[in-house]
Amino acid sequence: MSASSEAATLTQPVVEDAAADEIWRPDARGWAARIAVLALIFGGLAYLLASVSQTWANLIAQAAIYAIIGLSLNVVLGYTGQVSLGHHGFVGLSAFVSAGLVSEQGQTFWVGMAAAVLVGAATAGLLGLVALRIKGLYLALITLTFGYVAANSIFEIPALTRGGQGMPAPRPEGFTTNRAYAVLCIGMLALAIFVDWRIVRSKVGRGILAVKQSEAVAASYAVNVTFYKAFAFILSGAFAGLAGSLFAHRVGVVVANNFRFENALLWVLMVVVGGLGRRTGVVIASAFFALFSSLISEITPLRDFIIETLNREPDYFTLVIGSLLALEVIIFAPGGLGGRLSPLTTWLGGARFSMHPDGGGGHHEKEKSGPGRRERLMSRLGLERSATAPAEAEDPEPEAEPAGSVDSDGSDSSEGSDASDEEEKTE
Amino acid sequence: MTAALEIRDMGIRFGGLVALDGVNVDVPEWEIVGLIGPNGAGKTTLFNCITGLYQPNSGTVKYRGRDISLLPTHRRVALGIGRTFQNIGLVRELTVLENFLVAQHPRISYGPLSAVLGAPRTFAEERRLRVNALEVLDFLDLAHLKDSKLDGLPYGTLKLIEIGTVLATDPDVVLLDEPSSGMGPEEAHSFGERLLELRRTLNLTVLMIEHHVPLVAGVCDYVYVLNFGRILTEGKPQEVQSHPEVIAAYLGGEVDETADEETAGRLDDRPKEQTDAPS
Repeated sequence: MSASSEAATLTQPVVEDAAADEIWRPDARGWAARIAVLALIFGGLAYLLASVSQTWANLIAQAAIYAIIGLSLNVVLGYTGQVSLGHHGFVGLSAFVSAGLVSEQGQTFWVGMAAAVLVGAATAGLLGLVALRIKGLYLALITLTFGYVAANSIFEIPALTRGGQGMPAPRPEGFTTNRAYAVLCIGMLALAIFVDWRIVRSKVGRGILAVKQSEAVAASYAVNVTFYKAFAFILSGAFAGLAGSLFAHRVGVVVANNFRFENALLWVLMVVVGGLGRRTGVVIASAFFALFSSLISEITPLRDFIIETLNREPDYFTLVIGSLLALEVIIFAPGGLGGRLSPLTTWLGGARFSMHPDGGGGHHEKEKSGPGRRERLMSRLGLERSATAPAEAEDPEPEAEPAGSVDSDGSDSSEGSDASDEEEKTE
Repeated sequence: MTAALEIRDMGIRFGGLVALDGVNVDVPEWEIVGLIGPNGAGKTTLFNCITGLYQPNSGTVKYRGRDISLLPTHRRVALGIGRTFQNIGLVRELTVLENFLVAQHPRISYGPLSAVLGAPRTFAEERRLRVNALEVLDFLDLAHLKDSKLDGLPYGTLKLIEIGTVLATDPDVVLLDEPSSGMGPEEAHSFGERLLELRRTLNLTVLMIEHHVPLVAGVCDYVYVLNFGRILTEGKPQEVQSHPEVIAAYLGGEVDETADEETAGRLDDRPKEQTDAPS
């Protein structure tokens, strides 16, 4: 057997295996199971929304808005690795813009919302320009200052915000009830989730993550560092603007006091608890924090204890529990809630079920399969198998199936290799 | 004849330290040019000046006759200058496969806005990128690792992945920063052969920082020796190896030098058919 044809035989099982692994999808029963679970989750949520009181429907709208804010912060915190403590500034500014356009300029709600998104994107883009130069602690300080100035100066100017009286923000036609408005908010959340999903699954998300890791490395992959840094902040601002508009028209009257530093702090905590860069976890954690104070208020003895004995609002404990959960996450589960849910979410996404879907663990053992493997790797890439091998590797359909080949199970790649190892020894 | 890379009068200072001073380097098309020199000589700094990560105080870089001195790094890479890093330039948060997707960044035609809004063609193109990435992974025999995170993978594997990702940027000129670090002599030898092979199949031009003398002697067509930010000497590997100043500055004494020559000789004499014989 000549060296080149031997190399070709060695290459084929891997090609076959990879191709099979790449297109692995669950069979009909697998899909049915996944769809059933999804239907159960979403059906349950829909039933919940349909059956709860109007008060709770309003809270569900709040939860959806918080989830959008969570996604907004997740772009900055999870994808770029920077901390924004000024998100109440973006959200508040957009809320006032949206409310002002509707109640003072007589524009429709949808125009107000579009303007809010643009304003959020533009202001965050300005901060993004700062972020081109400054990182980490100093950037956090700048965002903190921005939020402080926005909340304590800009939002207090009566000519812009009608001061303490507040800016009326009527709801759009057809969404005036709490339940209908909650549906609108959930719809917008779905849109934000879709956009976020496309960020991560496209060159945008990979570019941003590469920049976070190392600007030199990112640039060496031809990633435009400046552009992607600014782009991340603009995206985050657009989400914040969307949330701000929904927020304004949910409460009906926007006042400066809606946007305090405590909010920005809570929003950072909910992203940490949800898991940095983990979409599902962030959405769930955000909804949880939006509802937390109302949930504990449902328990009458607990509420009485908090209000009468401790002399605190239930709201106060949202931050307390947030800090505790964040500590728990930092110490025990760096992936946050999203990390804990990832076996479920990746399974639902059409992958095989695995307790460690994030890579790591099992994969590495294959690499260590004996000294023969390294020899084989080197000899395969060495000169002696010459120019035929690359051509073979790119061949999508190998003609000859080597003996001891693989079935469609991707975990067999090590077995395939072992078989080839033995082939080599017998020669 | 225009060189693939033409570096003229490159100079850069960090505060009072002159890291590079009047460095001239030519990398002709299809050659493998070595860049050697003791630690701190300015080799990696020169790489950073070539790719634009550093702004030199003086000097120009020409790529195939075109002055690229003022272009930002990502534009230079998109033109076809790929590089690896001494301490592995990969994105640790991404899987092996995703790193190969990042690497194809310059070849993605859809814009960031259509990506974010989920335009249909982004899906099709992403699928194409994955197929490309899997082909390269297959070629490198790393297909089984495609969904692994990078943490915990052996150093040599990471080096291999990095070289693979740089090839995925579709370069014409590759700058390799100590590609054989962390490899034993056998592996370094195989790596050299692989490099020659890659040059032939992919038409690569290579500028390579390397300490491993047998590798330099085995594959390089031409060698520059950098010392204290200046070109000490240049020439064919054999000429450079016997240059007394190089021995003094870099190889550190004659005992080492003879040992290195022996190894180098073995590499040259060795028939190619025997290279895959294990043990």
